[in-house]
Amino acid sequence: MTIRTDPENNETRALFDMANFSGQRVLEIGCGDGRVTWLYADKAAHVTAIDPSAKLIALARQELPSQLLDRVEFHNATFEDFAIASKPSAFDIVILSWSLC
Amino acid sequence: MVHALEEVHRLVKPNGILIDIHPVAEASPIEIHRGEKIERVGDLSVRQWCSDYQHADEALTVIKQRGLFMVERESIFNSLTYYDSVAEMRTDWKEAIDKFARDAQSIAESVPHAEAMAARAQAMMQTAANGAELIVGERVHISRLKPRFP
Repeated sequence: MTIRTDPENNETRALFDMANFSGQRVLEIGCGDGRVTWLYADKAAHVTAIDPSAKLIALARQELPSQLLDRVEFHNATFEDFAIASKPSAFDIVILSWSLC
Repeated sequence: MVHALEEVHRLVKPNGILIDIHPVAEASPIEIHRGEKIERVGDLSVRQWCSDYQHADEALTVIKQRGLFMVERESIFNSLTYYDSVAEMRTDWKEAIDKFARDAQSIAESVPHAEAMAARAQAMMQTAANGAELIVGERVHISRLKPRFP
């Protein structure tokens, strides 16, 4: 079973046209299984990726490459809960990853 | 949604950026590709999804009007999803439907339409030659917003 999303890499090109991730602290809201996270994570200084689905976060953690273990953290949380516990002005880039719906 | 964007405004650094990615509120074309041959199955038009994308657009408009963010750059790109079988497509749609159910939103009115599209695709795939692929297209809006501090 092979579902392929955007093998043309249109999203990757669009994302890198919007931001330079080098050395940035990134918050990704609605990361799901990490499909978008993997596009930029190796460039960022640190990535915090959240999603309310425990199943999808488990999938993302399974796929987390060892070289990114110290840079990427996945949290099973709603944005509301995450935001309450977060300090202000903590991120250089915030991504709403198909999640403002 | 507006409250979520207010919270994003609090969490992003003053010189940081917000990148929003969400589909355009319109039907998604479904096609069967086999080599150069392309057959149109129909359009997946899930009213609740389109409605949510419209609400996302409206929320962004509100926060821009309030002066919390300004758009620095935006564009639209095509995102195609390829399936080897109708079963794969059904599974993928079910996950999307489950997501809405998890968020306590009803999309019951849209499920029969999605199922009818899947049944039509199934019939067309059965007559297509081996190696045919199902492709669902979406146009996706991406924007870069800068926080403002009025």
